[in-house]
Amino acid sequence: MRCPVCKNPMVILELQQIEIDYCTFCQGIWLDAGELEALLGDTQQVQDLLTSFKIDDAIREKRIKCPICNKKMHKIQAGQHNPIIIDKCRIDHGLWFDSGELQQIIEMGSLHKENEILILLKDIFTNKLK
Amino acid sequence: MWELIRANRRKSLVLFFIMGMFLVLLGYLIGQAFKPQGGGITGVVIAIFVWFILNMISMFSGSKIMLTVSNAKEITPDVHPRLYNIVEEMRMAANLPKTPKVYIINTEAPNAFATGRTPDDAAIAVTAGLLAKLNRDELQGVVAHETSHILNRDIRFMTYAGIMLGTIVLISELYLRTLFFSSSARYRSDSKGGGQGQLIMMVLAIVMAILAPIAAQLLYFAISRKREYLADASAVRLTRYPEGLAAALEKISGSTQDIETANKVTAPMYIVNPLKKKGMKIADLTSTHPPISERIRILRSMAGGANFTSYQQAWSTVTGSPSHIIPRSGLADNESLGFRPPASGEDIEADMKQSRRDLGNLMMAVNQYTFIDCPCGVKLKVPPDYKSLQVECPRCGRIHKVSD
Ligand SMILES: [Zn+2]
Ligand SMILES: [Zn+2]
Repeated sequence: MRCPVCKNPMVILELQQIEIDYCTFCQGIWLDAGELEALLGDTQQVQDLLTSFKIDDAIREKRIKCPICNKKMHKIQAGQHNPIIIDKCRIDHGLWFDSGELQQIIEMGSLHKENEILILLKDIFTNKLK
Repeated sequence: MWELIRANRRKSLVLFFIMGMFLVLLGYLIGQAFKPQGGGITGVVIAIFVWFILNMISMFSGSKIMLTVSNAKEITPDVHPRLYNIVEEMRMAANLPKTPKVYIINTEAPNAFATGRTPDDAAIAVTAGLLAKLNRDELQGVVAHETSHILNRDIRFMTYAGIMLGTIVLISELYLRTLFFSSSARYRSDSKGGGQGQLIMMVLAIVMAILAPIAAQLLYFAISRKREYLADASAVRLTRYPEGLAAALEKISGSTQDIETANKVTAPMYIVNPLKKKGMKIADLTSTHPPISERIRILRSMAGGANFTSYQQAWSTVTGSPSHIIPRSGLADNESLGFRPPASGEDIEADMKQSRRDLGNLMMAVNQYTFIDCPCGVKLKVPPDYKSLQVECPRCGRIHKVSD
């Protein structure tokens, strides 16, 4: 899979049987819906999570394309106060975090109901988040 | 067994020659349409030449071409031990002189085919999707079916017939396309030449170019259907478990995914037609005869044990036809072969979970990913086109060399 931002081939990281696509060049992270499912347990929870995000297409950040279906992704607000903007595939293939966005989310303690995701991401990117 | 193979071959040969006549006629009409004086003969020569060349290529490079265009990659036993064990198991059951080479096609659509010249030089190719979706019993059924094609000497003959069909389709398409792209210019500038005779020839050639691929496809199916039934019957004999193959066929035909690398020449080789949606309309035509659902029903109504006689009885019951799908010589085979029990339910469950987990890794291994186990517990899977010689583990910061 190629990084949707810088087009470099992405490395796959596996920890606790969860796979995360990671671009070592621009430090972007792709979280596949299938992996979210493996983390959260079932499809319904993943659906709830994905639909809970507020789509905000007024944002003037550059649109990037889903690495799976190649369609332009939605900009979504993650977090309650001072939400940060991440990218989400229109047909829910997964989520994209630009470099630094993961750190911001962790610092804000956002994505609160998805603690398991945060814990795993925090763990796998320990060295990068320091 | 030899009797059976010979009888099978004799019947197929007739249909094979009729297919050849279609090719010749097609070449004649197209040639004649282009050049009324002697063009027909040239057309015939060209058509046969194209077929001949394609055959030579497939003869000399063995199964390579088919496997290459299908984007199949050869694997070693350690890449997928389960599949390899089954192939070895079936080779022993079928008494083949050599273990067929095993190939994996990197696509999610479940399917499989066998190719090669002789039982010494055969290959079985399965898709990654097949490995992910089938449990052991089902996979064994499919491998047994393909092994039977090798054992029954089908692969070479089917390659000839498949290439003939492919040639007919290619020539027809090429002709219709040339006609389409050149027609406007041709009619405007060239109206004085040719005349009525040529116009008639042209119409005939167009009709032939449309009908020949359909007719050839039907003939091909007539040849292959018998061989498919025979391979199913032989597969049951090898596995003693008809439900394995039946369930596999059900899963394969239930998938709506196409195989990206399948084309009109290679499509006929697969256990189930891989071109479902965007494939040729001809595929719809043949799928209206329900060979798959019929094959499944026959397998499921086998009651008299895992021998040919039992298959023939089930076939007659399901199709309601009195004819012999198994040549008479095969019906001497009354050897009572009992069915074996299925693998237990728990095994199947664990099997499916395991195979789904394996699939991703398998696809990556086949595609030359480098696997790095970082001591901190993270596994890094680096794609072959990765642009740096080293990669940093984001968890512990260790730098790993990407081997070359
Ligand atoms: Zn997508
Ligand atoms: Zn590490």
